[in-house]
Amino acid sequence: MEKSAALQVDHVSFAYENERVLKNVGFSLRHGEFMALIGPNGSGKTTLLKVILGMLSPQEGGVWLDGNPVLAYPPKERARRMAYVSQQPFLAFPLTVEELVSLGRYPYAPRFGRGAGEAKAIEDALRLTDSFSLRGRKFTTLSGGERQKVLISRALAQTLHLLLFDEPTVHLDLYFQLQILETLKRLCTEEGATVVAVLHDPNQVSLFADKVLLLRSGEATAFGSVEEVMNEGRMRSAFGVEVSAIRDAKSEAIYFIPRRPQS
Amino acid sequence: MRRIFWGWLILFFFLLVSLFVALGTGPVKISILALSPRDQTILLHLRLPRALSSFFVGAGLALSGAIFQGLFRNPLADSYLLGISSGASLGAAAALILGFTSPVAMFTGVSFFSFLGSLLALSLVFYFGSREGSFSVFRLLLSGLGVGLFFSSLVAILMIMAEEELKALIFFFMGGFSSSTWDSAWVAVTLVPASLAIALCYSRELNVLLLGEETAQSSGVNTRFIQVTYALVAAFLTSISVSVAGLIGFVGLIVPHVVRMIFGADHRILLPFTFLAGGTFLILCDTIAKAVLAPSELPVGVVTSLFGAPFFLYLLRRERGEYGL
Repeated sequence: MEKSAALQVDHVSFAYENERVLKNVGFSLRHGEFMALIGPNGSGKTTLLKVILGMLSPQEGGVWLDGNPVLAYPPKERARRMAYVSQQPFLAFPLTVEELVSLGRYPYAPRFGRGAGEAKAIEDALRLTDSFSLRGRKFTTLSGGERQKVLISRALAQTLHLLLFDEPTVHLDLYFQLQILETLKRLCTEEGATVVAVLHDPNQVSLFADKVLLLRSGEATAFGSVEEVMNEGRMRSAFGVEVSAIRDAKSEAIYFIPRRPQS
Repeated sequence: MRRIFWGWLILFFFLLVSLFVALGTGPVKISILALSPRDQTILLHLRLPRALSSFFVGAGLALSGAIFQGLFRNPLADSYLLGISSGASLGAAAALILGFTSPVAMFTGVSFFSFLGSLLALSLVFYFGSREGSFSVFRLLLSGLGVGLFFSSLVAILMIMAEEELKALIFFFMGGFSSSTWDSAWVAVTLVPASLAIALCYSRELNVLLLGEETAQSSGVNTRFIQVTYALVAAFLTSISVSVAGLIGFVGLIVPHVVRMIFGADHRILLPFTFLAGGTFLILCDTIAKAVLAPSELPVGVVTSLFGAPFFLYLLRRERGEYGL
C-alpha cells in the first residue's frame, strides 16, 4: 500500500447480481490532486464512486482511504474524511441555504442542539464557493448554478479532505461550468483537497484535471496525466467519436474538437 | 429564531383557547368557573377525554403526514395515499366484526388490530415498491396507491358481509369523537407523545435524507434504520388515530404543509410545530362539529376540509415558488 496516498483503489471488481460492472480497476491519488473520471455512459463511473464511498463493497480488491480500508471506518468517521455531491437532487421543501449547508455538519453534530463551531464551519464552506451572500435565501429559489455551489458548500462543510462529484457541471451554463471547476481546482491547490469528478467534456478535463481515469465497460483503460490518457485514438475507441486534439500555442492546453459522425 | 419563539407563543395561546372553548361547548350548558357535581362529571368524563382525544389524534395525524412527506421527499405523501390508513381500517374492521374489542395487552383490541393492518399495508407497500433492494420514491407511492385501493375494497366487502355490525362499522368509519371516553382517549394520550419523542430523536437524520439516500449515506446516516424507524412510527400513529377516531382526512396532508410554509422545512422545528398545530386544529374542528347543528353533530372530517382547505389554498396561492414545484 502506498502510505502517502490519499485514495488508493486496488484491483477492484464489482458485480450487481450476475452483471460485472467493474473489472480489476486500480489507481492511486495523492493529496491535492484533481482526478477526472471519464468514460461512456454505463461504463461504471457512478458504481466506482459508490465503491469508493463504501456504499457498495467490491467482490474483489479494496479501497484505501489515508492508508486504511474504507470499510473499516465507522460511517461518521468515514464521512469526516470524504464527502459526495450527487447530481442535483429534487428538493420539494423550502430549506434555506444555511439550513442545507448545515446538513453537512451531520457527522460532527450532537443528537440535540448545535455542534461546536457549526456556524463558523457553515460560513467558511459558503465563502469557499463565494455563496455566503445567498445564506438566507430558500434553496428552491436559486438558479441552477447557484444551487450547485450551495450543494458543493454542503460537502465542504462536511470535509475538505476527499471530495467526490458526479457530473458537477451538468445542466449549467458555460459561466457556471467554469466557475464550479475553478472552485474545485482551487480547493485542491489551496486547501489540499483531493477531488474525484465524473466529467463528460474532454475540454473541461484538459483544462482542470491533474489525472484522468478512462473507464470503458468497467475496465480502467488508462490512468495518468491528460497527455498520457487522452489522445485521438483512445477517444475514438472509448467513445466511438472522431475528435481532433489541438494544442493551443498560447496556453499549451490541449483542446478536443469533435467531428460529425460519418453516416 | 424570533419567528419560532412567537410561533410557539401563538400556537400555545390558540391551544389554550381552543381547549377552553371545547370544554365549554356541548349539549348541556355548564359554567367552568362554578362547577356543580353534575357539571364536574360531564367535564371530567365526557368533555375532557373528548378534547384530549381530538388533540392527540390531530397531533398524531399531522405528525405522521409530516414524517411520510419528509421520508418520501414528496409533498403528496400521507397515510391515505400510501395505503397505510386503508390497512389500519381493514384491521379495525376485522377486529369489530370478530368481536375482538376486549383489551389485548396494553392496546384495546381495535388499536392492536389496526396496527397489525397498517404494518401489513406498510410491508406490502415496501415489498411492491422496492426493486433489487433499493426504493424509488415514485415506485413506493404508486405501490401505496395500489395497496390502499385493494385494502379499501376488502373493507367494503367486510362491510357488506357484516350484518349486525354494519351500523357500528359505518359509525366507526365516519370518524369523530362523539363516543370518546377515557378508555379510548388514553391510548392516544400516552402513545402519540411517545411517538413524537422518537420522531424528534432522529429529526436531524430526516433532514439529511431530504437530499436523497446517497447523500445521506455518504454523510454517515444509517439510512435503512432511519427509514424503517420513521415508517414504523408513522404507521403506528396512523393506526392509533384510526382506532380512536375512524377515518379523518386532510389533517395529515395539509397541516404539515401549512406549518412548512410558515416555519420552514427543518424537521427539528417542523415536527413539534406540526404536532401542536395538528392537535389544536382538530380540537377546534371537533368543537365546531358539535356546535354547528347541535344537538346533532357534523362528521369532524367534513369540518376539517371545510375550514382547512380554503386556508391552505390561500397559502398555496401566496406561496412564492419556495416549494420548488
